[in-house]
Amino acid sequence: MISWLFLAPFAVSVAVSIWNRKAGYVALAVSSAIILAGSFIHFDYIDSFVVIASLVWIFSSWFSVSYGEKYGRWLAPMFGSTIFGMVVILLSRNYLEFLAGWETMSISSYVLIAMNRKNDYPPFVFMAFSELSTVLIVAGAIYSFYLTGGTTIAFTKVDSVIPLVLFTLGALVKMGMVPFMISEWLPIAHGNAPANGSAILSATMTLMGVFGIVRLMLLSPLSQVFGVIVIAIGVLSVIFASLFAYVSEHAKMLAGFSTIENNGAILAAIGFYMIAQTAILRDFSLVVIVIFSLSHSLSKTGLFLGIGASGKEHFLDEGLSSSRFSRIGEVLSTASLSGLFPTIGGLGTWMILEMFFMGASFLGYLGIVSIIAGSLIAIGEGFATAAMMKAFVFTQLRNGKARGMKNEHAVVFSIGVILILLFILSPLFVGPEFLGGLPSVFVFNGFTIQSRFAAADFGLVSPDYVFGLLAVFSLATYAIFRKPDTRSVPVWRGGREFTEDYTPYAFSNNIRLMLKKILRPGIGERSQYMAISDGFWAFMIILTRSYRKVAKGFTLGFMNSSIRWYMIYMILAFMIVLLLAILI
Amino acid sequence: MYWYEEGKPDGRFIGNTKKYSIYGSHYNSTIEVVHEKPPERKPEEFIFAYGPSTGGLMESVGLDILTPGEKITSISVDPTYKLRKIKVTGMGIQDALLRIERINGFHSASHAICFLRAVEDALQIEVPEEVQFNRIAQIEAERIRSHLLVIQKLAESAGFGVPVNQLSMIREKVSRIIGTQCGHRYFFAVNEIGKSRFMIDKLQEKLLEVIGEFRMISEGLMESKLFLNRLQNNGINRDPESTGPAARGAGIRHDARNELPVLPYEQLDYFPIVRDEGDAFSRFMIRSDEIFQSYDIIKNIHASKSIERLDYDLQKMGGTGMARIESPSGDLFYSVEIEKGNVVDIGMISPSWRNVLSFRRSMEGNIFTDFHFNWESFGIWISELGVDLS
Repeated sequence: MISWLFLAPFAVSVAVSIWNRKAGYVALAVSSAIILAGSFIHFDYIDSFVVIASLVWIFSSWFSVSYGEKYGRWLAPMFGSTIFGMVVILLSRNYLEFLAGWETMSISSYVLIAMNRKNDYPPFVFMAFSELSTVLIVAGAIYSFYLTGGTTIAFTKVDSVIPLVLFTLGALVKMGMVPFMISEWLPIAHGNAPANGSAILSATMTLMGVFGIVRLMLLSPLSQVFGVIVIAIGVLSVIFASLFAYVSEHAKMLAGFSTIENNGAILAAIGFYMIAQTAILRDFSLVVIVIFSLSHSLSKTGLFLGIGASGKEHFLDEGLSSSRFSRIGEVLSTASLSGLFPTIGGLGTWMILEMFFMGASFLGYLGIVSIIAGSLIAIGEGFATAAMMKAFVFTQLRNGKARGMKNEHAVVFSIGVILILLFILSPLFVGPEFLGGLPSVFVFNGFTIQSRFAAADFGLVSPDYVFGLLAVFSLATYAIFRKPDTRSVPVWRGGREFTEDYTPYAFSNNIRLMLKKILRPGIGERSQYMAISDGFWAFMIILTRSYRKVAKGFTLGFMNSSIRWYMIYMILAFMIVLLLAILI
Repeated sequence: MYWYEEGKPDGRFIGNTKKYSIYGSHYNSTIEVVHEKPPERKPEEFIFAYGPSTGGLMESVGLDILTPGEKITSISVDPTYKLRKIKVTGMGIQDALLRIERINGFHSASHAICFLRAVEDALQIEVPEEVQFNRIAQIEAERIRSHLLVIQKLAESAGFGVPVNQLSMIREKVSRIIGTQCGHRYFFAVNEIGKSRFMIDKLQEKLLEVIGEFRMISEGLMESKLFLNRLQNNGINRDPESTGPAARGAGIRHDARNELPVLPYEQLDYFPIVRDEGDAFSRFMIRSDEIFQSYDIIKNIHASKSIERLDYDLQKMGGTGMARIESPSGDLFYSVEIEKGNVVDIGMISPSWRNVLSFRRSMEGNIFTDFHFNWESFGIWISELGVDLS
């Protein structure tokens, strides 16, 4: 665990950012680099989340230096205090510290989202769900306190799964998982923040949820029933979120849904840990959680910052120009989010699928759960690839081309390079128990990552050899054939002069038509059609209207100018609240 | 005029010539305006331009498909990319006929015979019954070949190589039979006023093999769930003024063969085949059944040993005439004005005009992959539409 001393630079950065925006961002990047370095002093598994988060903060702070002037002077302090809250969470050793960080992060994020407001709706939606999340985490903390006989509020081992269940539910709200996903609160909120804010919300705020669950999971007894429920929630989130991402017409909302999809996969890996029956399978799932979190967080940062650099919010927006560098960066980020080699996302996807397919073979009757989960995640990854292609094409390729490289383009490009570097360096992260080699075919020991269920391996991949072969063959091809002769011809449109292009809406309308019962179209901003599932909100509206109707009828029918009925109502309400408080 | 008289709009609307609006058995000089509501374009929609020079289309036609992606909101058809200006006014009837029968080679007999019936109506020429039956045989043989082509195109849309080539082969056989019977596989220069060079002798026996082969192919197609799935519920047509197989496939008994006695179908116990579904499958079935029916009609026509050759002094003759026959695609109408044996005015309404309107309506709400099946099922001929006949 790392020291609270690492919090101080972040506090200073927030203060500096009030005085000078750019200086504040630079200070945040430096603070993040310090905590990144500090995490390796006494590195343990939990510190992996510090590494992931600090990498994201470095890049998003660097990006912010030249971004977001239009949002005014308070963007930088709010950006900084959101990160500050997250650092508190990562350093927390008890529930109170955790909740302090959680609330700091939530309130700062609320302001952050409100800065980009075109209407009041997104920040309030965010705040409502944040507070619901806090209530559930508080409930978990109180129950944990009760289980320890009222002796400690520290994160400590307990013999009941209930604190973990309550805490997980709270984190699920924050991560926008099913069933909370149907309200789309996360894409609405994350999609409406400034791009740098969206990046840290999507990449690291949801990571805090994962961090909290993992932290408690390692201190709680394992429940297979709860594990299966968590897997179910995770894979349903993967499927629905990837579908919703594919049909989204708002670039950042697409990325927001992608966040839910990634978090769904991570959650499924957490569920797998709970149902795994051997230590080696559990260890493998812990590695999967970290690798997938790492790939999701960095790739999502690259995607959000790429979208921010493109100047587009809706795909049909005019947008700013994009450079060759930002295109390379975003294509690598989207490749990583699509689970493609040679990026860290490719490794994460391979590992999670290997994990579930191992489970199918070695978890007995729970193998059915494992194979179904693995298959659904694979399907979700397929949809995610289509969604990522849409995001890349309509934010980068369908955008004017600029000369040179601005700061934002450099950041997006750097993240892309980092995603490949992490892939190459990944054997260093997974631990010796999952490393191996095939010396007989010149794959030396330590160069393959092996999915293992026991002493024997289930599958293996060698990131270095994958990258090496790709690089060697590409360079050899280039050396032999040089740049291919190409010629550009105008698009043939049936022999006609015609200028209309395929729209982003059309790109995903096939799925919209196939799933029209689930995806109900609505009108978005500026008359742009959105395809969103508004079942949750429709239900909420009906519920609210019905309640108001009943209340109005009761008020006019009984309590109208009748002090006697009003008193009865007050007493009854007080008794019900008291009863509920005692029962709960 | 024998079949048409001037009057108020009455009966179904056949279409407009440059001078008249044509109805079931009336014509009116007040031109009826055909209203086509322009589609409301939504922000997410764009126009997908298909054709005129593209794969998958037999003729040059520009299609503007308004779509939000995959689903077709509306479609417009521009047949004028290869607009042919064909002038027949001022020409003698036989010279004019040489051009008329080239408007649509696949339906050459229908055009030639309909034009001739309009001329014969204008000149009040009584045509021998044998010639009339001979003309019916020509039109029905042409119907068999035309329907075979439409079904071949439907199979081609499904990527069914074997039935496509089988249908192509038997269509070639029909063309060769026609060529043997009259000297030209597309009936060119076969018909004259009151005359025909088409031999119906042994026609039925020659077509028997073709009909047998078609029955096998048709049954094979009907066993293909893939093929049926692409046709069923695709392009449901409910246009009450549809024509030809498109109308009869939608439960509408529109058929010039039993509406006007331009040709003596009533003596051959003719009855229109009708189905109710209205979709592309229904149109496919109508065409399949009509192939067998056309063969039966030909079977009922008995060859006369010789057709008496009649000569007319056309230079002294004149008048106005109108005729409508059932071409393989539906109502084909001609109006002519003859003076001293020369054509001084002409009007033509092709079934493809009405079929395009019905097709456009039926296409709304369908998806891209339905397009070719639906387009082919209507049997639309751009050659009949992209023509400026004067």
